[in-house]
Amino acid sequence: MEIDSDNGAAITIRDADKDHVDLVLKNVDLSVANSIRRTMLAEVPTLAIDLVEIDVNTSVLADEFISHRLGLIPLDSTDIDELSYSRDCTCDQYCDKCSVKYELMVKCNSDSTSNVYARDLSKFNNNKILGDPIIKDKDGHGPLICKLRKHQELRITCIAKKGIAKEHAKWSPCAAIGFEYDPWNKLKHTDYWYEVDADKEWPKSANCDWEEPPDPELPFDYESKPNNFYFDIETSGSLTPDNVFMKAIEALQLKVAGIAVELNKEGVEGNDASNGGFTTYGKTPGNQSPVGDSYGSGSFGASSWS
Amino acid sequence: MVNKRKASQITREGMVTDEAFQPLLQETYKGKKLTDQINTAEDKWNLLPAFLKVKGLVKQHLDSFNYFVDTDLKKIIKANELVLSDVDPEFYLKYLDIRVGHKSSNVQSNKPVPKEVNLVPHHCRLRDLTYSAPIYVDVEYTRGRKIIVHRDLEIGRMPIMLRSNKCLLDGIDDKQMASYDECPLDPGGYFIVNGTEKVILVQEQLSKNRIIVEADEKKNIVQASVTSSTHERKSKTYVITKNEKIYLKHNSISEDIPIVIILKAAGIISDLEILQLVCGDDSNYQDLFAINFEEAAKLEIFTQQQALHYVGKRVKTIRRAGAPKLSQLQEGIEAIATTIIAHITVADLQFREKALYIAMMTRRVLMTMHNPKMVDDRDYVGNKRLELAGQLMSLLFEDLFKKFNSDFKANIDKILKKPSRVSEFDALLSINIHSNNITMGMNRAISTGNWSLKRFKMERAGVTHVLSRLSYISALGMMTRISSQFEKSRKVSGPRALQPSQFGMLCTSDTPEGEACGLVKNLALMTHITTDDEEDPIRKLCFVLGCEDILEVDSATLHSKGNFGIYLNGTLIGTTRFPAKFVSDFRNLRRTGKVSAFISIYTNTHQAAVHIATDGGRICRPLIIVDKDNKSKVKAKHLAKLMQGNWAFDDFLQHGLVEYLDVNEENDSLIAIYEKDLIDPSKTNITHLEIEPFTVLGAVAGLIPYPHHNQSPRNTYQCAMGKQAIGAIAYNQFRRIDTLLYLMVYPQQPMVKTKTIELIDYDKLPAGQNATVAVMSYSGYDIEDALVLNKASIDRGFGRCQVLRKNTVTLKRYPNHSKDVLSGIRVDDNDHPIPPHASLGIDGLGEVGTKLVNGQVYVNKSVPVNAGESVLNKTEPNQSTESMRETPAYYKGAEPAYVDQVMMSVSDNDQALIKVLLRQTRRPELGDKFSSRHGQKGVCGIIVQQEDLPFNDDGISPDIIMNPHGFPSRMTVGKMIELISGKAGVLNGSLEYGTCFGGSDLEEMSEVLVKNGFNYSGKDMLYSGITGECLQAYIFFGPIYYQKLKHMVLDKMHARARGPRAVLTRQPTEGRSRDGGLRLGEMERDCVIAYGASQLLLERLMISSDAFEVDICNKCGLMGYNTWCTTCNSSENVIKMTIPYAAKLLFQELISMNIAPRLKLGDVF
Repeated sequence: MEIDSDNGAAITIRDADKDHVDLVLKNVDLSVANSIRRTMLAEVPTLAIDLVEIDVNTSVLADEFISHRLGLIPLDSTDIDELSYSRDCTCDQYCDKCSVKYELMVKCNSDSTSNVYARDLSKFNNNKILGDPIIKDKDGHGPLICKLRKHQELRITCIAKKGIAKEHAKWSPCAAIGFEYDPWNKLKHTDYWYEVDADKEWPKSANCDWEEPPDPELPFDYESKPNNFYFDIETSGSLTPDNVFMKAIEALQLKVAGIAVELNKEGVEGNDASNGGFTTYGKTPGNQSPVGDSYGSGSFGASSWS
Repeated sequence: MVNKRKASQITREGMVTDEAFQPLLQETYKGKKLTDQINTAEDKWNLLPAFLKVKGLVKQHLDSFNYFVDTDLKKIIKANELVLSDVDPEFYLKYLDIRVGHKSSNVQSNKPVPKEVNLVPHHCRLRDLTYSAPIYVDVEYTRGRKIIVHRDLEIGRMPIMLRSNKCLLDGIDDKQMASYDECPLDPGGYFIVNGTEKVILVQEQLSKNRIIVEADEKKNIVQASVTSSTHERKSKTYVITKNEKIYLKHNSISEDIPIVIILKAAGIISDLEILQLVCGDDSNYQDLFAINFEEAAKLEIFTQQQALHYVGKRVKTIRRAGAPKLSQLQEGIEAIATTIIAHITVADLQFREKALYIAMMTRRVLMTMHNPKMVDDRDYVGNKRLELAGQLMSLLFEDLFKKFNSDFKANIDKILKKPSRVSEFDALLSINIHSNNITMGMNRAISTGNWSLKRFKMERAGVTHVLSRLSYISALGMMTRISSQFEKSRKVSGPRALQPSQFGMLCTSDTPEGEACGLVKNLALMTHITTDDEEDPIRKLCFVLGCEDILEVDSATLHSKGNFGIYLNGTLIGTTRFPAKFVSDFRNLRRTGKVSAFISIYTNTHQAAVHIATDGGRICRPLIIVDKDNKSKVKAKHLAKLMQGNWAFDDFLQHGLVEYLDVNEENDSLIAIYEKDLIDPSKTNITHLEIEPFTVLGAVAGLIPYPHHNQSPRNTYQCAMGKQAIGAIAYNQFRRIDTLLYLMVYPQQPMVKTKTIELIDYDKLPAGQNATVAVMSYSGYDIEDALVLNKASIDRGFGRCQVLRKNTVTLKRYPNHSKDVLSGIRVDDNDHPIPPHASLGIDGLGEVGTKLVNGQVYVNKSVPVNAGESVLNKTEPNQSTESMRETPAYYKGAEPAYVDQVMMSVSDNDQALIKVLLRQTRRPELGDKFSSRHGQKGVCGIIVQQEDLPFNDDGISPDIIMNPHGFPSRMTVGKMIELISGKAGVLNGSLEYGTCFGGSDLEEMSEVLVKNGFNYSGKDMLYSGITGECLQAYIFFGPIYYQKLKHMVLDKMHARARGPRAVLTRQPTEGRSRDGGLRLGEMERDCVIAYGASQLLLERLMISSDAFEVDICNKCGLMGYNTWCTTCNSSENVIKMTIPYAAKLLFQELISMNIAPRLKLGDVF
């Protein structure tokens, strides 16, 4: 599949399945490509268990231990936009608009140990898919939470909230993001470490097939820039990889837009250096040339910051 | 790349199914398929697990204790069997037998003896009790005219060593262990006294009853000394040179006796015979010795009688009152017979053996005078004996038993003295009164570690230690520890140095740094410490093997050429002219199992001696025997039997394939390290083959992967740090209530294991996690060994640990029948509990699972106000609540904790015992300490978001970034190889080995890396997480096992603005625990002075510390108060000023000593 425009960014999807996509991003700057990577890792909102109320825990594991494990269970976050952040919500602590509630009620009555899996989490408000635990194994268990011996019991209420991985890694939709550019090292961004011969000692990247091998005759083009970025996005299952990518771009756009808005705001004290706004050197006095006087008007520490 | 993903999946699945029997189901067991060809060179290491299966890691302690309770106790009883009365000559009480832990009626030939211990060990731990078993004796005594035999009389209780043969845990399977709340991997070998686990450390001493020759070349002194140790006393005899003449020195003889006189006193009257016994026909020795005859001749001592008189005159007599006074001659005989070289017993005044012993000592001195190289090495491991729990307990028990008997005797004497008695006297009625003495004596000694024995004038402190349960390894390390008797403060290098004879016996790496360096040692992995063996059968055996009895040997031929003396435990018992045949015959008998395997025999050609040792405390280790044609006796078929389980280690011993060698006998052998060395045609006289070379290291040093690639001090550092690592402690760790317990939330077994790790089950109770490490510089927060941690890894549970702390509360009872009680919760107006009581239940105890913040109560105890009052003048009989004062136990700590367990029990003296276990779960933070297994510790310097961290083209980012400057000076090459092997293991889905002198081959590991699309060097190309650009340099990147150490910032951080002050000086208190101030010390003060910041100095030293306003009378210069000078009786010249309270205190103290410090005040400006 190829989405191609004349000269703008382009994506070639090389391989994709339920929780992984392999794509080539073209015609963007390295900084943009990396921003997308970073945003996917850290700023795509998902759902994860954040509050755990424990009524009974007679298992061998401590309350915090189980809470931590519950937090790391990936939950379906496809419709995460329906939910608002708890901190933005009007409710007191949490409500249906900003959280998903679960109950975990298990007791072991058999002589052998029984396992508690993510599927044992029963969600309140069951008509939505938002917040379903991701179950990928063929037995349909999902992640193991705890093991119980006879007469041990768990009675737990969990509240899942929307969040981003910057706050805690449990909100990260990604497992790992492969990222590569310039597989032939034509740009000489790196020095091959070698003992005898770099070419022999370093195995070739699979992405080498997608680019022309370097012509040893050609002189080194110090102005060239990376253009093709090979992404390999693997998700934890809470979001599909395409969703992750789209939402990352969305999140990135919002952030950039936020900056743009802030910069263009009228009324905010001096966005404009000529009007006495902030420059790299501090605040310039109004109507004066910013150059030469940027350290303030002569006396030490006179640049007014207030 | 496809390969890589597959591999990682395999490991992930492997982690889910973690059943214990998993390894058995696998196709390969311990890296070997069942159908594989057995290779003796590679598979002989299987002898090691076989050895550990029979012996275990702490077998030395168990053997020693078992020997004590089964054999030594009976000997002690035998030696002290009679109790007689001074009053009634008819009376006697005789001990017939002694047993620990079972009654005589319970002994049946075919059934195992039931073990009569007070409780399950774990209950003793929880309830602060002593794990002990009753000591039963059978006695025979007179009652009136009758002789009565009484069986199973309890005379006290003996603390029982865990897993010894008297312990409940002996010989039970894992399932039963679990039912007793006991960890099957726990090594045992310690005692539980008053709820604390106590270890009696192995004590290292110079061997007893052996001659040690030393020389002081500066003072030109040569001395041979022997420490004689018997059940009664310990004494030291010297044969010493003074001005080239030889004397005998002993503590109980006031002056040094010329050696010839002593020999004459001991019955060697003829000068010729003395010369023959001491010098033989060697003219060098004769010349050196001749001068000694002159001395005796000058003193005109020619006969035995004269000599005995001479000796008797100089004996220091310390006689008990009442004993008859002896004549000088008798004193002399007594001294020779019992005092000098006391360990040789004299029967019927036959002094010849003793005379020969003295002659032997003299000869050794002569030999050293002639050739100074003949001195003995005190630090040589063969000259050392290890004293274990059993020996120490036996010393203690004998002392207590003697005390018990003398108390008992005094008691019956008192009763028998009374002329008329109502009923017939039964001695048994008064024996039980003292039974507490033995119990208490044993308990006190073990719990305090003070071994004070009047008999030997022994006063030893610090014999026992609390078993460190910080980690599994620390407990294990403690069980193999050996402490030396040398003073720590002395600056001597000899005893601290690594002795070549330590090889294979004591770990070469595991010793602490600092003052105890080299004095505290650890046993190597495959060692055994002998227990005492019977001497007499061996003596008889020697005579059968062609040894000529020393009493029948002609003095003239004793030292003739080719005649070898045969010494049994250091005493000459005979001679032989065919030492080689004698030794090989003896060894054959030992190899066929006719003689105990732990008896050592070796030839010393310098001394023309064959030494046989049967005594206890020698370190020995098993080796494979190599036969005459340089072939290992252990063949493939034998190993096959072993691996199929048909043979155990003992079968190898019995079939003469493997034998134990002690250090001395090792010196007499040529040991090949590898099987390939046997083929070497230049070495034809190889006698033994090493089982596995990695057994030179101990259990703790065995954790290090590739230690043979590391700089040696690094291994030593790791040995110290491995004991501080947080991990899993035992299978019963959640059932334990220890003072302080550190547990890791997700411990992992290391990717790079060693064989030792598997043998000691570290893989089942690990302490660390496999972290992906990038060796690179990042952010500048990684200088000086600081580490950069990945926040996402921490979020996902890396380095997370639980800290559990015990808090004990006892509810006391008082003599006036009042007692402490638990009061319930106090509530506010709305019936809510008041905030400090929020986590209490209605019973006044913290509820399990509730959160405790600083200042909250977890046990609401109240004590009676009138506890001190006596019962008699008590006015109100019932305890009302007004008479109680609340003394709650409240939680102190900046971070909240949770109630983990609450235990309530009754202790020994009927007082309620409440233990509350509080738990904190901690994620790693800035300043927490981590360490790899190579002595490379570092603190966390910064925690970085995952997206900012470098990553490789697969998107893998590191858990830890380590600064490369850690490598060049530390030279821990093993760590680099661990990384490469670990990385290969991850890609392969296998666990790799880093066993010492072996382990996975680096080249093979590199091949795996290349096969999986990585560079062979372990370096990866990484991208910057911040810019996305790839890094210029290639980064060494892969998994390394990291340990989290117990030093955490949370326990250490401290700051104070205002706070408590000491009462006496009014200065801020000291130390974090008292919320103390931070001291501006002398050197800091110097800086401030040098800088001239006098006002800062004034503020720091007085205003912020102990400023105090005083009224000074300018007239008399003394202090008054309230603007009044009491000395001058006026307020005229009283001036207010501020001085440090400490200065005011000093003035007052001086005044109290009649010194008047007067202050003269004047204007500054």
